[in-house]
This record gives sequence, C-alpha cells and structure tokens, in this order.
Amino acid sequence: MVLTTELLGIKNALAERIEKKRGKASTKTKYPNPAFFRAKDNINWKAQGRNIAEVANICVEMFKEADHKAFWKLQADRCVDDLRRVAEEFKQATEMSPDELMEVFLHGERTLGKLYRKGDMATVRREWKGLVDTAYDFKEWARMWGMLLMTFSKDLIPALNSALYYRWMISYFCCVGFMDKNTMGQKGSALRMSHLMIFDIFRYVAENLVFLAKCDEKNGNSRELNKKVVLFDEMTMGQIMAGFPDLIGIPYQLMPVFLVSEIDQLTCIPYIDAVESYGLPADTCPVPSSECGALVIDALPHMGSCFISSSMPCDGSVMASSYMSRRFPDLPVYHLTFPVRYEYEETTQDAVEDIKGCIKFVEEITGAKWDWNHYFEQMKRFNTETTYELQKWDVNKTDCPQIIGPCYELFRKWNYEMDGGADPRVMKTFTKVNEIMHKAYERREEAWRGKMKYRGIVWSCPAHYYANFSNWLANCWGIDILVEMESLNFTKMLETEDKDEALMDLARLYERMVMRRHTNGGYHNVVDELWRQVEDWRAEIIIMYQNVACKNMATLQGVLDDQCRDKNYHMIWIEHDLMDPRTVSRKDMRAKVNEYMRTVMKAEPVDPTLLEFDDEIAM
Amino acid sequence: MKDLKHLIYFENLLDNADNELVEQAAKDGRYIMGYTCYHIPEVLLNVDKCVSVRLRAPRTGSIDISTYYMSNYVCEYARALLERAIEGGYQFLDGLAAVDACSMMNRFYEHFNILKCNEKPHFFLPILDVPYKTEDFSYNHMQRQLEVRLLAAMKEHLGVDISDSAIRAAVAEHNIICRIMQEISEMRKADNPVITGYEFHVLNLVTYTCPKYLILPYLQETLEELKKRKPDDKLPRARVGIVGSEIDDPEFTRMIEDAGARVVFDRHCFGSTPGREVIELNDKEDALPQVVRHYMNSCECARYIADNKVLQRRETADRLAKEFKADGIIYEQMKYCDFWGFERALVSHIMAEEYGWPVLSIDRLYNAKGSGQLRTRFQAFVESLEIKKIQKGGK
Repeated sequence: MVLTTELLGIKNALAERIEKKRGKASTKTKYPNPAFFRAKDNINWKAQGRNIAEVANICVEMFKEADHKAFWKLQADRCVDDLRRVAEEFKQATEMSPDELMEVFLHGERTLGKLYRKGDMATVRREWKGLVDTAYDFKEWARMWGMLLMTFSKDLIPALNSALYYRWMISYFCCVGFMDKNTMGQKGSALRMSHLMIFDIFRYVAENLVFLAKCDEKNGNSRELNKKVVLFDEMTMGQIMAGFPDLIGIPYQLMPVFLVSEIDQLTCIPYIDAVESYGLPADTCPVPSSECGALVIDALPHMGSCFISSSMPCDGSVMASSYMSRRFPDLPVYHLTFPVRYEYEETTQDAVEDIKGCIKFVEEITGAKWDWNHYFEQMKRFNTETTYELQKWDVNKTDCPQIIGPCYELFRKWNYEMDGGADPRVMKTFTKVNEIMHKAYERREEAWRGKMKYRGIVWSCPAHYYANFSNWLANCWGIDILVEMESLNFTKMLETEDKDEALMDLARLYERMVMRRHTNGGYHNVVDELWRQVEDWRAEIIIMYQNVACKNMATLQGVLDDQCRDKNYHMIWIEHDLMDPRTVSRKDMRAKVNEYMRTVMKAEPVDPTLLEFDDEIAM
Repeated sequence: MKDLKHLIYFENLLDNADNELVEQAAKDGRYIMGYTCYHIPEVLLNVDKCVSVRLRAPRTGSIDISTYYMSNYVCEYARALLERAIEGGYQFLDGLAAVDACSMMNRFYEHFNILKCNEKPHFFLPILDVPYKTEDFSYNHMQRQLEVRLLAAMKEHLGVDISDSAIRAAVAEHNIICRIMQEISEMRKADNPVITGYEFHVLNLVTYTCPKYLILPYLQETLEELKKRKPDDKLPRARVGIVGSEIDDPEFTRMIEDAGARVVFDRHCFGSTPGREVIELNDKEDALPQVVRHYMNSCECARYIADNKVLQRRETADRLAKEFKADGIIYEQMKYCDFWGFERALVSHIMAEEYGWPVLSIDRLYNAKGSGQLRTRFQAFVESLEIKKIQKGGK
C-alpha cells in the first residue's frame, strides 16, 4: 500500500514537472486545472482495509442468503426468452418485403416497445438505428467509455473506493445505458447532436466524481484539494465561481442525489425512506427530502472548505441547509438568499450585497482572491453560449424544429446552472451542434423521423425518474417537445465590463435560475408566461407536469385549469413524485398521455408497442 | 377555577373574522387592515385610522373550492383562508398586507386578487419581499419594502398618516396591550397558574383579531380579575409548551389540556412569543428602522435560514421551557408546511438529544380539534412525562 502511495507521488511529481514545462510553452490554461487531479491524497489504508472486509462480508452474506435456484432459473428463463425473441425477430424479418427489409437495415427499427422486458433493469438489446447511425452510436458508446476510463484513471483508487462506500456510485456504471435511453428513436443529425451534448455532461460528471472521491475524508482525503473546493447547494448556480479560477465549485448533492436519480430511478428511495423515518413529512419536495435523507444515512462525502447553501428555488430547499449543518458542523456555511419577488427592482441591490458577502466569505475561508478578469472572460463565454441557445430556440419555433429530446433538455439545464461558461471545451460542442442544427434545418430534416405529429411544450418540473419522458412522447405518440419551462430562463447578455452592473446582472441571473424564474416572483411568471410561450412556440399540446409535492406549482392548479379551458388548449396533466417512482410510476405517467390521446385527441399511436410495457425496476 | 367574566365574550369574538369589534371600528371610520404573518409588523397596520386584524377562518367546514384552486397537499390554513375569502368572508377588509414568505400563503394572496375576493374600490393588496437573514442589508431590505410597498400604498389608498409620529403612537398603543399580556403571561410561571393555556390562548387571539382600542378595556378588567383569581387545588399533571407553526384555534390548546397537561408557553404563530413583546423605541432614530429590527430580531419563523436565527429558535424554546418550568415541549406543524416540516423533524431530535427535553412531535390539520389520534398522542405524552417525574422523584 505504502509503495503504491510512493509510486503515485512520483508519478504526480513527474506529471507536475511536465505540466510546468508545457505551461511555459503555452499560456493556454486547461480546464479543469490538472493540478486538481494531481493533488496529493491522504488515504487511510487501514480504514480502507476495514471497509473492504466489511463489503466482502456483506457480499458473502448476500451470496449465502440468495436463492440460487431461483436465480439460475431466472437466467435460464431469460435465455429461453432471448432465443424466442431472436426467432420472432428473424421471422418478422423474413416476412418483410426486400424494400421493407432494406428500410429497416438502412434506417432502423420502428417498434421500440419490444426492447423492454418485465423485471429487467436494462433493455433486452441495443436499438438498431440503421447501418450508419448504429455505427455512429457505437462509436459514441466507445468514446463515452474511453472518456470515463481516462478520467477515472487520473486518480483511480479513491474513485474505486468510493464505489465501496456509496451505493449511488454504482448507478453511474449505468450512465451509458442512460445515454442509450435518451437517444432512443433518434437518428441522423438529431442523434449526433444528442451525443455531443450528453458527452459533455458526463465528462463533467466523471471529473467531479473523481474530485468527490479524492476529497472525501473516507476515500482520497486530499487535504490539498479540499482547501480548493467550495461546495454549493445543488440548486445554486455555479457562475459565482467564475471569479475564483484557482478554486473548484462543486454542486455538492448533484452527483450523489440529483443527477443520479435521473440515471437510476431507484436511487433516491433509501434516502426518502430514511428521512421520513427520521420524522420528515412525506409531502415535502423529494429534492430537499432526498438531500436530507442522504445526510441521514451518511451517503454524502465529507469534504470541502466551505458550503454555500441557498434559498432556491423553493421553501423546502431553504430548510435542507440546517440538516447539512447538523451533519457537518465543522463546515463553514454561507447562506446565499435572494429576494423571492425578484421583479421588484428595489430588491436587486440587496441581492448584490448578498453576492458580495458570499465572495468575501469564500475569500476569507480559502484565501483566494476574486479575479474580475477571469469572471468577465467566463461570462463572455456564457453570453456566447446563450446566443447559441437562442438560435436553437429560433429553429425550434419554425415548422421544422431540429434540436429536441431529453439530451438537449438536460444539456440546457446543466449548461445554464452548473457549467455557466466555465469549461471552454463546451464551446466547441455549442459550435458543432449549431453547425449540425443549421445544416439539418437547411435540409428540412425531421428531428424524429416520421414521428413529427404534434408540437408540444413541457411546463413545470419533470420527473427525475423519467428523464426521457419526452423521448417516449415522441416515439409513441409523435408529440415533439420543443421546449421545457426549465429551459426558458434568463437570456439577457451579462455585463462584462462594468463591475457594479456585472454584479447586478449576476444577481438577476441567480434570481432567475431554473424553476425559480417561473415559480417565484408571482403567479404571472408561471401562468401568464405559459400562455405567452404556447403562442410563441405554436404548441398544440401542453405537457403539464404535476409534482405532487411542489407547492409552488400545485397552488396554481385551478387557475391553470380555468384559464386553459378558456383558451381551449390541449393540456395533459401528468402527476409524478419527482424522485420517488413508488408514488406515481412511469407506467402511470404514460397512462395519462395514452388516455388523453385516445379519448380527447382520438389519435393513433406512432408506435403501438410503446403503449404498454413494464419498466418498474428499469434504470 | 371560577370562569373568567369575559371569556365567553372573547370566545364569541373569535367565532368570526369580522367580529362585532371589527364592525364597530369600521363604523368609527377606521380602516381594517388584514394580515396573516408575523413578518408584517403589526404596529404599522395600526397607524392613524388603521386597525389590524390577523386573519383566521373560524368555523371552517368544507374547503373544496380552495382545494380545487390550490390542490390538496397544501397548507390548510392557506386553503381555509382562501375558502373564506371566496365565500366573501373578508369583504370587510380595506387592505391586506401580504408577504411572499412561504409559497402557499403567497398563493392565497394571489388568489385573493385573481378571484377578486374583495370588492371595495380602494382595496389594495401589496405583497412584500422579506429577507431570510438578519444581516445589515437585510434590515435595510425589509425597511425599504415596508416603505415602498406597504406604507406608501396605505397612504395612497387610504390617505392615512404614515409619519414617524403616527408610527410611534401605534407602538405606544401596541405596548399597552403587550404589557397587559406579558403580565398575564407571567402568571403562567406559577407552580399552580391562575390561568389555563386555553384561556391565555383565547385572550392572546383577541389581541390579534380585534381593534386594540376596543379590546383594551376588557383586557384590563380580565387582568385585574386574574390577580384575584384562586387556582384549583389540584396541580396539573404535566406542564408543556407549544413550539411551531400557526395555531389560531384555541381548541387545539384545550385538547392538550383535556389530556391532563397545562400549556404554559406558546411559541407559535398567533402565540405570544413572538408578538406580545414591548417594542422599545429611542428618540435618536426614526421609529421605522427600530420597528423593523424588533420584528426581524424577535421573529422565530423557520423561514429564517441564517445560523444565528436557527440557533435562536432552539435557544428560545429552551429558555421558555426553563422559565415556565415546562416538563416537556410539543413541536407542532401545520400539515404541509414546508418550513416547519423540516424544522420540526430535525429540531425535535435536537431538543431531546442536546437540550434534554422530552419532546412530542406532531403535524396537524387546521381544524384539529376532532382528531382522536392527536388526543391519544397527547394523553400518551402526558403519561410519559408523569412517569419521568415519578422516576426522577424515585431517584
């Protein structure tokens, strides 16, 4: 063990020297700073040994308690079922005319429901997207794995250790499956754009997972890196860190709670159960509930130099910080609390004062100094990204929308909230996607080939456990979601010269973060705004999510219904419980749409095999 | 104990939001300013010709219509108020001072406007933004909100005097009420108090819901009566305090006392802590910033996120429990209240584990008096406190 640490130390020192030499040759800075990956770990090997022994014991116990007979029977049944499926697919292929067969061969299969099997956590096989697109999809699959392996290899041991401590780490092994799920049914340019965008998200995730593992007291315990890490509440935007290029801002609960719940629908259940057993009422929003539950069962790493809590976007989020203080009393906390009535211009200065207080706090704790030049540089990049975003909206508002689907939805939220122009590599993705999008538009491509029947808009917060719901909507019913409420945020170009005005803009940006922009500041921001957006995007169907625990939205249910009736729009209410699929399952969510489409719209599904399928325990 | 002379009268006053004293004030040419939340300084709603009424929805029955508008997983206080507003129960108001402190109450105010629940031409409903912390800029923020959103609107819509002297006069009147209530409250510290928790709750509620100048004579008389009142021979089985969110129903307190306990302090919204502390003003500074500081510093709302306020809430509960010689604390929350839901769950553990208080942690509906489940839990809590006392004595 000692030898490994020594070797790592030598390796790090060599890498540092090479980096310094490179630095002299080129002034171009890398993102994230390679020194963060090289920061010295202080692993407690005895504790690791104890943990490995404990995990081994658990595995042995699980092995002993497992019903091996039933397990092998299940495997045998699956093999039989696989053979049956292959035979059936072969038979279907033989029954096709040569033209039909060629169509499937070149452009992919059109019935996707058969990819699901009851009781399975993943699809029975990958989707056949047509010769070229399947090849491209496979290339992206390989690229994703390559990136993941390369990133984790930057400091592999703490990352592997953390998989033995935190069950949520295991869910990340399925991130490639998540990619497949989100691109299901997509082909051509749409597929390419989706892959480019989701790759950036997962690169960010992988890098941050490495940092989490390195910093965590239980794993890497890197004192050197911890001094550089500023933790954020996951619901707080990262742009404030633009002024601290020598530090890393990590949205603390993003990886262990928020994002992983989109990858694996079952992840948050133990958190929610734990905190409800602790005494928290079950009617609270699952986001803060899960965050608190993760603290209760010690599923969050102990790390960082300080924590920035937030009052955003709702009452529940405000309260989660006291649980954080309770679990980690040694971690200094700054509460960043912006005015709720953000449209009152007289409150903006108070928000600015809060930002200044936060900057001062970070400076005092970390010893870093706020760097205006770096801040402006990043905000210029963010402004350019916003310009690209607006172009996407312009294209999607036309009769030939191009960039739709869950990858885009996730990318927009991630880029707006977490990246915020920090990573220069993301700009390349924006440029590439923009290029592909415009070319596809010129060719009048269909974003979902043969499945463009209804223009849809999503309102309110989507279910984490069904992040690819818009994908199902398109594949099953041809409802193409052009935009989500959570994407429609602050698009004003941020000030990049005047320092006072820049802080005012930063405050305005934070006040209009995802969700908060609509659910705070008055009902008109979510009700009147919806009707305005429906007109603007010429949406024919409104997918109105109803997170049963979201008080900000639930309290407008009647008004939304009344006004929608008056305006004669098609609005489909879809209840969900955000991170808890036990309350309203994915199947129940789909049933709402099926019912509306059949009874009200009198519509026929594009892919009938997707009407009914079982994915209760699927990732 | 002998019944208080005005108790039935007070109870009757609490039967309607628009009670006879409120009607009387309107006839006297006063403007009725409604409010719900401690974040709005009550004294500012009593300047010049204004009188404040803290809104309740007594005798609430069905809340189906408000549930249609606000859905069912939402604070019943907010829904009950909306239901009453839709029924026309708040037509007597000339203004409603609102705060965007919690999302559900905020939506109640917004629905009040959307559904046009008050038809008076001069009616106005300003919604104020309130801070989460008590930093210097937070006090300025609150003061500016009160100046720009509330006082300016009161002057514009009602033409009332909002000057420094008017605020000082309102504070003086407020302090008279507070001194009486404090004197009565002190009586609860006695080993065998001459006032029950229920009676105190009723008295305290009328001070919030009736015009000060009209309720004052009754309170003064009640104070004198209490000074001479003889307590029951039998000591209460247990002394408890209530900490938590909104309780405007004295029947809730009665239910606890029916289980054998005596409620000796009330640290909840519509309670006396905070709310019935004297506001000390100096002459060096304008009254408004002093009023703002008083309300923000004394506020115990779980919405305040800052560490000092989080600690203050725990320390206040501990201090009151010691001062009023409580045997245990009941942490309660209005069902679906996010702020108190999180606070109650965590702090009920902390008060037990770190402060050493026996704690009963409950959530409840707005109309809780019929709850057999709650009654059982109160009885069990009283019994557990008794057992603890016996065990302590045994040692």
